[in-house]
Order: sequence, then structure tokens, then C-alpha cells
Amino acid sequence: MSSLKKTPVLMTATVVAAVLSVSAAAMGDKPPASTSIGMSQVAATPAIAGTFAKAPDPAIPPLAPLPPPPIPLDNPMSEAKIELGKLLFFDPRLGGDASVSCATCHDPEQGWSWAEDISRGYPGTVHWRSNQTIINSAYYSKLFWAGSVPSLEAQAPSAAKGGVAGNGENDLMEARLRLIPEYVERFKEAFGEPLPTINNAWKAIAAFERTLVQRDTPLDRYLLGDSSALTEQQIRGKALYEGKARCILCHNGALASNEKYYNIGVPRAQRWLEDGLAQVTFRFEYYAKGATEELYRTVKDDVGLYFRNKNKWDMGKFRVPSLRYIGYTAPYMRQGQFYTLEEVIDFYDRGGFDEEGNTTSYPSTKTPLITKLHLTDEEKEDLLAFLDAFTGEEILMDKPKLPGYEPMFSLAELQAAQAAK
Amino acid sequence: MACMITTRPFLIKRGFLVTALGMGLVLANPVAVAGADIGPLPTLKVNQARAELGKRLFFDKRLSGDAAISCATCHQPEHGYANPDALSDGYPGNKHFRNAPSVINTAHKTVWMHDGRIGTNLNDVTRGMITESYLMNMDMRIMQERLKQDPVYVEMFKAAGLGEPSNGGARKAIPEYLKTLNSEGAPFDTGQMSAEAQRGMKLFKGKAGCIACHNGPMFTDGKAHNTGVKENFDVFLDPARHQAFLAYAAFLGVENYMNLKRDPGAHVQTHKADGSDMGTFITPSLRELKYTAPYMHNGMIKTLPEVIAFYNRGGDNDRHKDSRMKPLGLSSQEQKDLLAFLLALSGKPLTSSRHVWTEGYPQEYEAIANWLDVPN
Repeated sequence: MSSLKKTPVLMTATVVAAVLSVSAAAMGDKPPASTSIGMSQVAATPAIAGTFAKAPDPAIPPLAPLPPPPIPLDNPMSEAKIELGKLLFFDPRLGGDASVSCATCHDPEQGWSWAEDISRGYPGTVHWRSNQTIINSAYYSKLFWAGSVPSLEAQAPSAAKGGVAGNGENDLMEARLRLIPEYVERFKEAFGEPLPTINNAWKAIAAFERTLVQRDTPLDRYLLGDSSALTEQQIRGKALYEGKARCILCHNGALASNEKYYNIGVPRAQRWLEDGLAQVTFRFEYYAKGATEELYRTVKDDVGLYFRNKNKWDMGKFRVPSLRYIGYTAPYMRQGQFYTLEEVIDFYDRGGFDEEGNTTSYPSTKTPLITKLHLTDEEKEDLLAFLDAFTGEEILMDKPKLPGYEPMFSLAELQAAQAAK
Repeated sequence: MACMITTRPFLIKRGFLVTALGMGLVLANPVAVAGADIGPLPTLKVNQARAELGKRLFFDKRLSGDAAISCATCHQPEHGYANPDALSDGYPGNKHFRNAPSVINTAHKTVWMHDGRIGTNLNDVTRGMITESYLMNMDMRIMQERLKQDPVYVEMFKAAGLGEPSNGGARKAIPEYLKTLNSEGAPFDTGQMSAEAQRGMKLFKGKAGCIACHNGPMFTDGKAHNTGVKENFDVFLDPARHQAFLAYAAFLGVENYMNLKRDPGAHVQTHKADGSDMGTFITPSLRELKYTAPYMHNGMIKTLPEVIAFYNRGGDNDRHKDSRMKPLGLSSQEQKDLLAFLLALSGKPLTSSRHVWTEGYPQEYEAIANWLDVPN
């Protein structure tokens, strides 16, 4: 509790472990030694220059209707657990000063995310990355922009305890739960244990999040056989998505993400040049994540996947996000570099450059999959129309009424204990 | 009459002490078994630049997680750097379960916290208070970067010979500032005690037996004792306090902490299986009491006359109470004399800009203008 929190030395050990557990090959682009393979992959898929209509690459999973989310064996779903998880998701007592809940930053009204470039942070701080939506988060095998945690059960505490997020502490949060009689009952029902534990709280939140899925978008309906679910324009956009615009290379499968890591050329967040509070957090992230002294002193952008495995060739790579629900989750990219999908399409059309010609801080790791697309204005509109098909009805939820604290002991019990001293 | 036994009192084994008490040698006799004699505090050498930096840090709310409280939020200068509430507030979102002690003269201590759980140095105390979840809940890595973002700190750390702003530097500077918070001009130290206070001192060393524990220049033996102070039920009846208490007891490994209905005190250090160390607390200093009401680890006694009455009746109920806690039989006049002596241990308030940071702080973090061109 009164710990030093994590020191860089400890973090280094964590990183070593991460290196051992992370296979570079599973990460997306190959390391430099095999760059030619990466290139040849692109060269070996000539169809992408035109359209996949005739001969789609069998290695690329097609877009597909979203199946039910996977449920981990060690955290089965139950009504009691989901209902508890919902309360906890909205409860600011799972945080440092009891003022911010999961839902504070992952606001249902803001696409279950935060509608600014960089997410709001714990009071007194700002975050350093864009906030990702909870909707469909159940499908990712890794969470956060650099895939630093393997499950929703691990994501929840990471957010609730992070210094620029929830800044909560396990013992104190657990004690709070135990002082809320309704939670004591609900945890008992959901987990069969006499008292709430903080780890069960994360499990309940994860179970609730697995209900926050959207499987009935126009795209899902179309893929399930309802040919009227997409407009003609959207169908033209789909062909571009799967062909000339090359989106399908990474945004594929049911989730519209291959969950691999690429540097697509997103430029540095301008905010770090202008906002003192954001500069504070920027340095903190490097201090906290165990950067070398040299990196800490010199770095001026987000190194992304490099945090996990410390391979130079992974600088500036990030996990491909799903395109589902993007109608409600602006702005886009890891630090919200683009506020509209039009800007995003233009960025890709230019081959990974923004309006002013800015691109990644790490050009040597930029994926060869990103090239100029030469889309016409009409094609851009068609593509934009198709992107709408990834979003269904807005998922909204009223903040539940939260149960209150009650004293654990009565005055009479305390007086009796006093007398027996 | 008030002569002192000052020879190696700490080598006396507990068993012998108990025996001696049983023989009525201590309290029945004006000669108390005691530690070093009471007297003035030694002068501390202070690095002024570091102390000045520490002063700015002590009053700076940016040293807490949500930037809502500073060290001085609980340790208030106008209350002798203690807190006027029985139980202090602690971090927003919870409340504390103990009374905030004065930090005047804290640099002269060798053990800190009511339960004595920190026995190293003020560097560790500083770290503990800033990072503890129910106190200031600060991730010190964020704190360091906040300090680096303030040009005033960049200058002050440099001037203090501490390089760029850092956690380590802050943990050196705050203790240096604390070395400047010393009793100043207490009649006891200046030799200007009233006749009443002088009579009180004789009682203190003799009939009242205070000196058995409140000895040395700090008026404390630095040890834990059970005097039978009543529990402050607010700790358990207010869930905001109880949650902090539970987090504390869980972290310190107190057995069956969910069922605790009393403050374990120094049991968190000694963990005696029979619980005989439950409710023991480190003897507090008696300096600056004039400003630091209420009293005891949980603020259960509001005034000094009530404290004296408490000891005069031999403390309150506890089967593990220190056997030296016996009715003292002090007359009303003797109690007044003792009070006069206790008040003579307080100096002038340390509330001027010599001790308090009065220059304010920037309202926001200025951006580093040429951010891309300078090292982080």
C-alpha cells in the first residue's frame, strides 16, 4: 500500500518477462531481418491493386458477422455477476479519491470512450492516449493500444490503479466494497464468497463488459444475407475497402482488426508541444514503463509496441483497432490525431501523411502496407459510407443508482468490545 | 527530591521493571525510573537552500495524487503543525483514523507514527506520507514530473545542490525543512518558567511520574505503551474512516483485521500472539501541546486539564494497560501546577513566512516552449 509503487528496476524485470512471452512474429510487421518478407507479402498479393472480387488472398480473413464474444473458462457469465459488474463499472469508489469510475472516462454518452484527442485523466492529470471504446472490447485478445494486458480482467485493474487514470489502491478499494452491504450480498451471490474481494470486482466488471457488444450493425445484417442492409454506395465502398483502399489487409475478420501491430505513419500529437500537463504525463509514462535513461531523455513520441518488447523495429507500432462502433468514438488514432473519418481516409489516401505532410516519428518502422491509394473524391465518399455500416444503434445506459456505505459494527458492539478490553 | 536516575535505564529488563513496580519503588517513590533527563533540544545544522525548497514542497498540493491536499492540509501551522480535529481528514475519498501529530521537532525523533511503524529517518517518513493511499496517494513518478514542469522548482533544486527535480531530491528537501521546525522560546528552554510551572516540573519528575515515559529533550522515551485510552468509535462508525483503517490493518498483516474493533497500535510491529501489545502507542512528545489539541493518538481527550485528569485516575480500562498507570492522587492545585509546566513546554507559533510558504504556486503547468529541442 505505502509502497514505492513500481520502480524502473522492477519494470525492467517485467519487460524482460514480456520479451520472453511475446513473439515478434505474432505482432504484425516482421523485424528488419525479414523486411523483405513483409514486402513480398504485399507484392504477393497483386489483387489488392485492383479488387479482391476475383481472387481474394486466402490468408486474409474476410469481414464476417460478429459471433458471440468468447467467455473465459475462469470467469463464467451469470446474471448476478453482470449486474454487479455494471454497478461497479459506474462506481467511483473503485478509484483513488472516489471521484472517477470506469464510466467517467468510458462515458456511454461519448461512445463508451472520451471525445477528446487525449483522454481525460485522474483529477490533477491528463492521460496520454486516446480512450478506446468498451463496446466490443470483449473480442480483443490484448487490450490497450500496445496490447499490454491479456484480458478484460487484467485491463480493469490496470486502468483503475494507473496514476493518470483511476489511481486507486487495492486494499483501500476492497475495504470500500466490504463497507457497502448491498455489494457484500451481491458478491456473495455472484462468487459464493463471504466478502467482496478486489479481484472478483475486476471479474464482475469484465463480465459486464462482455455484454457490451454490438452484433446487429448494417454490416452484420448484410453479411448474414440481408442484401438490403447496405446501400449501393456502401456496397461500392465495401469493394474499395476490400480492394483499392487496402483496408482489409489489417481491418479484417469479424472484429475488423487482425489484432496485429503496425506503424501506419500517424504523426506525433501536437498537444505535447503545447500543453504542460500533457508534457508531465508524457515523461511519467516513460518513467513508469521502464524506459532507459537515454530513451527517457530523448523520446518525443509514443513508441507503442516497443514498450512491450524493446525491439527497435517495433518503435511506433500500435494494435489495429476494430472499426466497429466508430460512428460514436471520434476522435481517431492513438492520441486522437484525427477528429473525423474524412480526415482518416485522407490520411490513408496520402499513404500515411496528414494535411501538412506530417508522418510518423519512426519512418524506418512504417509498414509497407501503407501506400498512396489514389482514391477519387467519389471513392472516398463511398468508403466513408461503408464505414458507417460498422456502427449500429447507439448503446446508451443510464447510470445506475449506487448502493451506499453502512457501518460494519453497531455502537453497542463497539461499546461491548471497549468494555472487554 | 526530583533527582534523576539517568544511568542506562534502557538496559533494565522488563521483568525487573515490573518487579520494581510491584515493590512500589517507582510511583510510590518520587524517584522515577527514567531515561535521559528533560532539557533543551540540540541545535540542528540546516542547509538553508534545501530547507527553503522543502518549505515550498510541504505546502504544495501538487504533491498529492489529485492535487487537492498538501502536507500542511493536515499538519497546520496555526495548530502547531498538527490538526484541530480528533481524527484528521486524510485523502479525499476517505478519512483518516488517527490524530495528526505535530511535526514541530520531528527531526529530533528516532521513531515516527503513533504506532512507531517507521523507525529509520524522515526521508522514509516523507515517502510514506506522500505515497500512502489514504494519505496523499501520490505516485511519486508523477510527482517528479510535476516538479520538473515548474521552473521555480527547477531553479530551487539546482540551488539546493540536488540537480534536476526528482523524488529523491524532494525526499531530502522536506526533511531539511522539517529541521527548521523547532520549539522556539519555550519558557522551559529559556529558563523563564513561572513558580507554578516549576512546581509542576517537580511533580512531573516526581509524584506524577510523567518522566517515566516522557523523558529526554523530546519528552518521550520513543517506546510504545498502553495507557488505556478509549477507542474513538468514529473510526468504525464512519465508513470513510473505517475503510482507511481496514486498508492499513490489511497491509500491515494484522490477523483477523476485518473483526478489529480497536486500534492495534504498535501491535502492527510486534504482532504478539496473545494480543498483549494491542493498543500500545509510541509516547508522544509533550512539546508544543499548547497548539496541538485534541490529544492522544485518536484525539479522544480535548483539553490538557482532561489529559491530566486522565492520568490522575490512572488511565482508563484495559487489561494490558501499563502497570505504571495508577491513580496519582494529585490535588487540584497540583494538577494546575502540572498544567502550567506542560504549557511552559510550548514556544512561539511558527506561522510566519520564515516557516510557511507564502508566495503561492502557479495555477497551471506551463508548457516547455521548445519541447522538441530539449532533453526530457
